[in-house]
Parts: sequence; structure tokens; C-alpha cells
Amino acid sequence: MRKGVLEYCILSIIRRSEAYPGDIIDEMKNAGLQLLEGTLYPLLNRLKNAGILTYQWVESTSGPPRKYFRLTEKGDEFYVLLQATWNELATGVDTLTQKEDRSDKNQSE
Amino acid sequence: MKKVININFQGQVIAIEETAYELLKQYIGSLKTYFSREEGGDEIVNDIECRIAELFGNRLKHGINCITDEDVKAVIDSIGRPQDFDSDYEETAGTGQESQSSQSETGASGASKSEPWPSDSERQSLHRNSGDQIIGGVCSGLAHYLKTDPVWIRLLFVLFFGFLFWVYIVLWIVLKPKMLESNVSKRLYRNPNDRFIGGVCGGIAAYFRIDSWIPRVLFLVPLMLNMIGMISIFPLNKIFDHVGFNWNINSGMIIIYVVLWAIIPVAKTVKQKLEMMGEEDYIRSIREKVSDNVASSRSRTSGEGNLRPAEERKEVYYTAGSAVKTEENGITGVEEMPPVPPVTERRTEMPSQPRRSGCLNALVVLLKIIFFSFVGIFLLILVGIFIGLLVTGTHLLPLKSLFIDPGYETNLLFTSLGLIFLVPVTAVVVWIIRRAMKAKSRPAIGIVASLLWIAGLALTGILSARIADKFSVESSSERAVSIAPVTSGKMYVEMQPYSEDYAELRTFRTLYGVDFGINHEFDELPYTTINEDSLLFDNINLQIGKSNDSLFHVRVISAIHGRDLRSAKADIAQFSYEIEQKDSLLLLPEFFSVPVEQGFRNQSITVEISVPVGKTVEMSEALRDYKDNRPPAVVRKRIRNYSRNTNYVPVDVSEEGGVYMTLTTDSI
Repeated sequence: MRKGVLEYCILSIIRRSEAYPGDIIDEMKNAGLQLLEGTLYPLLNRLKNAGILTYQWVESTSGPPRKYFRLTEKGDEFYVLLQATWNELATGVDTLTQKEDRSDKNQSE
Repeated sequence: MKKVININFQGQVIAIEETAYELLKQYIGSLKTYFSREEGGDEIVNDIECRIAELFGNRLKHGINCITDEDVKAVIDSIGRPQDFDSDYEETAGTGQESQSSQSETGASGASKSEPWPSDSERQSLHRNSGDQIIGGVCSGLAHYLKTDPVWIRLLFVLFFGFLFWVYIVLWIVLKPKMLESNVSKRLYRNPNDRFIGGVCGGIAAYFRIDSWIPRVLFLVPLMLNMIGMISIFPLNKIFDHVGFNWNINSGMIIIYVVLWAIIPVAKTVKQKLEMMGEEDYIRSIREKVSDNVASSRSRTSGEGNLRPAEERKEVYYTAGSAVKTEENGITGVEEMPPVPPVTERRTEMPSQPRRSGCLNALVVLLKIIFFSFVGIFLLILVGIFIGLLVTGTHLLPLKSLFIDPGYETNLLFTSLGLIFLVPVTAVVVWIIRRAMKAKSRPAIGIVASLLWIAGLALTGILSARIADKFSVESSSERAVSIAPVTSGKMYVEMQPYSEDYAELRTFRTLYGVDFGINHEFDELPYTTINEDSLLFDNINLQIGKSNDSLFHVRVISAIHGRDLRSAKADIAQFSYEIEQKDSLLLLPEFFSVPVEQGFRNQSITVEISVPVGKTVEMSEALRDYKDNRPPAVVRKRIRNYSRNTNYVPVDVSEEGGVYMTLTTDSI
């Protein structure tokens, strides 16, 4: 996956509601995006270290307590930036590809 | 048939087949090595373990007795092996710079596949390294080429400066700059987290994996020895027969430190810190840092209530991560967050200064300007005084030998001067530099500096006490100069100029013709003979008295100050002042000389000429100064004694038993 897109997806999931990594994996899977959990954890860790995410521990019935992530204020700003970048990219790609074939765009994603 | 064991995995009791357990253990081991190079790697592995425990828990809840090989494999597939998410990881890792360099660090975990081609081409050619440069990056480029730590190359260039300077210049011109990644796993850095001055010792300690006090002590030992020598508990100077020995080591150590300070880069990023102390040690140091934060994290965990100890540990890791983060000043944040990260800039943009009303603001600014201009003027004055003192000091330096013995006292003088003048200057310079670098303020520096300064004052006190001690006793001795009877009724007293050349001690007056007022004290400074083995004083007094017989008498009274009477007497014996008589002409030498070792002890010579009644003495104009001089107190006493001897004083004994003295009119 391209740089930044993964972050964008994850942040958007977390923005909707607090989420723990299992939720994120499931949701990505449902959206048809394959993601290895081994990639997700370091990414979340980096985002957290950069102050974009914060988390709290929540007791779970089916195992160890889970980290529920949510966006910080800075994370919100960052998300807006990502969104702007993504929209720019998407419209750019759209206008380019619409002339030819719509299926190209899906593949590139 | 397989053996099933129970393991405690992230606080869950899980029944697992032994082979599956081995598989799991191996897998987690591989994750650990993979993530160890990333900041917060432990935390990531911990999260993944939690997730695995949860997945296992779900499996077991569905009525399965134990975790089998297949279950573990399924979990591993879902999470991915390090080599699987390697490509993914690299892309998301941002600039790719970090991952690339860490690959060369840890050849493990399948990362070697993407290693060879870029570094191969780099290795062949020599470049200047624009990524790690002190001057031109030549040394660092050479080090990259030779695959060594740039510090050693830099050290080589500093050591053989004269010869390698030209090599450096040529290489600087010839080589092209290029960003090079470091290709050594362990490097000498200055440690910003463990430092007193520049972090050099801390870095050395981290490099050799020893406690940081060891290099510090090694640097300080010569200084300490010298200090002890100063306080003279035992006479170090006698052990090291050369007096300058200690000083050479001292200044050598300081120079070494400064050179190292200059050529060793400071470890800024996490990667550099890892290179500095090795991964294990770095993690341990973070853990130590965490123990400082334990109180805060504990309050946080208690707020969340129902957490078990295992989570508390995790929480602690979290704070550790953030602590390191804030320290890095967001630099790594930029490195690791690839897409449009204006995050750090934004942070600096909004300083949380409270808004003031315009009028008040202007007032504050005005006050600040006034304050800082005052400070500036004050500093300028200080610098002026300092330079003035330095100039005076160098000119007064020859005088030092007059008051101060070589060896112990000289060391004392230089140490105290160094402490009094250099410490504040260094402190101010350090303060300015730290201010400019926006380093955190360290009260310890100020305290140490003021302590050193006070120590300097104390040493000066000791020194001046010792000097004052040399003047504590005043002693004099007299001798009669035998002269042939003068036939004529008149005696001529003439000055005999010193026949050799002599060197004047240069002071302001003699140098610039400027009179600062203080120089009056130096008017009677001695001169030294050409071969500098004796001092020449012109502190000679001439006294004319009445002779009690019909002959001329000449007496020479020498006076000196000293530490005790014995040494003063010994010094007096070394005076050399020979009066010459040529019939009725008496020749008084211009100077009297003493051995140079005596120094200045307020030596003086008084020449007393007793003139018989009816005869006269004529003095040349050159001796006017001698006549006008006032003899020192000891000598005055002697002159009075002499006169008392000549005039008998009638003593009346009254009836009450008291003794009354009536002085005759012709006493002096």
C-alpha cells in the first residue's frame, strides 16, 4: 500500500469511534483491504509516539485488556491534512483516468 | 500423541501443545529482534502478544481443548512474519532512511535482501559526507569508505594537523558531497542524556559500556592532584621534580576534552543513541528514565482503577516512549511520519504566551530593552576590566618573582588567578552558547562555577596571607665602615654610579609614561643585574649626625622584612654595599645588591655619617634623594639609640620613687 494511505484508512476508522487493533483489522478486511497485523501494530505505535493517537486500557471479556485508540487534537489536524492530500490525489487520478477507463483507478488503489 | 503444557501468556492461562509452544516462542523471538530496532519495539511486541493471547482465548472458548500447531500457524499467518511485512513496513516506515540503515545494523530478520545494491556503489567511491560533517565532511566520508567510526579519522587529522591539513583541503576540494548513511553499528557519540559539560565522558562511557564516572574521574584526576598539591598536604612538586609537570597534564586533559568535544557529534536521534550505546543498554537506560516517571504513571494507572501489574508495566513503557519523544524535540517525529508532517512547525508556532494589553506589553518590552542594555553595558565593562587586568597582569608578571617563591606559591597564584578570572568567563561563554543552542538550563553549572570562583578567592586569601607573612618581622643590623682619618676639614660625599648596565623591571610608567597613581608604590622597584642573579635596590637613606669625637664615622644599617628573625638575619648578611673612600671623598654606590632569590622584602640601607664638631660634610646633588628618604622604623630606633648613647641624660630620683627623665636640649 502507498505511503500515507494506510494511515489515512486507519485514522478514519479511529476517528469514527474508538477502536482497538482487532476492530481495525476486521474493518479493513470487510472493506476488502488486506492488512497484516504485524504492520498495523508498529504503525499505531509510531502514530501514538508522534502524538497523533492516544489510547486507554479497557478490560476485555475474552482476553487481556485492550488498547482502545482515539485521535488527539493534533491527530484531528493531521487527519484533515491527510484528507486534503488524499482528495487532491483522488481527484487528480480521477480526472486523469476518467478519460480512459474507470477500472484503472480501482487497481491502483 | 503430543504433550500439552499450560503457559501464562499475557495474564491468560493457555493450554498449548509443546510443539506449538516452540513455534510460538520462535515466532515471538523473531518479532522481538525485528522490532528491537524501532522505538517502542517492546511495546509493539507486547501489543502483538496481547492480540495473540486474545485470539487463542477465542479459540479456547469455542470448545477446543488446547492450542495446536495449526492454530499457531493460523495466527502467525494473520499477523504475518517479519519478512512478510518487511516490504509493507519499509514503505510505511517513511523516508526509508531509517530502515535501510538499520538493515545494515542487524543483518537478521530477512532484511538483507534489499541491502546490497545501493551501498555497493557507495562503497566503491569516496565522497564527502554531507550528512555528518564538522567542517567539510571529509573525515566522515573517509570513515565511511574505510567503514570505521568518523571520530577516529577526525582524531588522526587533529593529531597530524600540520601534515594532514593540506590533505584535508585537497580532499575537500576534490571530493563531491553526498548524503551517506553510517555503515558502522557502534559509534562514539556525545551523550546528551548524561553530561556535565559536553557529554563527552558520558559518550565514552556508553561506548565502552562503563559507568560514566570513570572517564570523568580520569579527566579530573590530574586537576585534583594539582589541587591537592596546592593545598600542600603533601608536596607533589617535590615528587614531580619539574614544577610545570602538573600543569602540562592539566592543560593537556582540557585540550583533549575540548578536541573530543569538537570532533564527536552529539547523539540526537534514536538511531544515533542506539549506535552510541547498543540496543540493550539503550533500552535499559530508558527503563531507568522510566523509574523517574513511575510516580506519575502510577497515579495514572490508579485513576484507571482495575489494572493488573502487567498493565502497569506497559503503562510505564508508554510514558517512557513519550518521554524519549519529547526529548527528541520532534525530530524523529518528522523522520517517521512521512506524509506532510507540518506537525512540529505547528507546535513551535503556538507558544503559549498569555495575551497582555497593548500598553502593558509595550511597558514590558521597554523594561526588557532597558534591562538588557544594562546587562550588555555591564558585560562590556566586565570584559574591558578583564582585558585590562590581563594586560596589566602580563606586565606585572616579572614582579611576581619578587613576592612569590617559585613552586608551591607560583602554582597557588596561577590556580587562584585561573579560577577567579577564567571561571566567570567560561561560565558566561557556556551560558551564552547554551542559550543560543536553547539547551535546558542547568543550575548545577552555575553552582559549580560559583564554588570554583569562591575557591579561587580562598586560594587568593591563602596566597596573600603567605605573602603578608613574609613581611611580618622587621630586622636590621649595623656595621661600622672603617675610614681613614680625613685630613681636611671637609668631607665630600659623592654617588658612585653603577658601572654596569642593568635591567629595569618594566611597569606602566616605564612602558607608556602613564601614571595611574598606583604606580607610586612601584617607584622603588628594584632593578636586576644583567645576568639576573641579583636585585639592585636604590632604597638608600643618608643620615648626617654628630660625632662624639674628632673623627668622621660611617655606619651602614641594613634593614629587611622577613618571615622570622633568623631568615631575615640570614638575608641581611647577603647584602652587598661597599662604600669606598678616596682621601676626603666618600663614594656611595648607587645601588645595593641582594641575591635574586630574596625577592622584595622592603630591603633598605641607611648610611649614617657622623660629623665631628667643627668639621663639615658636603653632599653631591645626586644624593639629594638619599638624604630626603625616610629610614624605616627599625633604623630610626637605632639612630635614636645611638644619639642617646652619646648624650648622657641626667636622671632625678624623686622621693616617691618615680623616675623622671629630663632631656637635654642638644639631643637630636
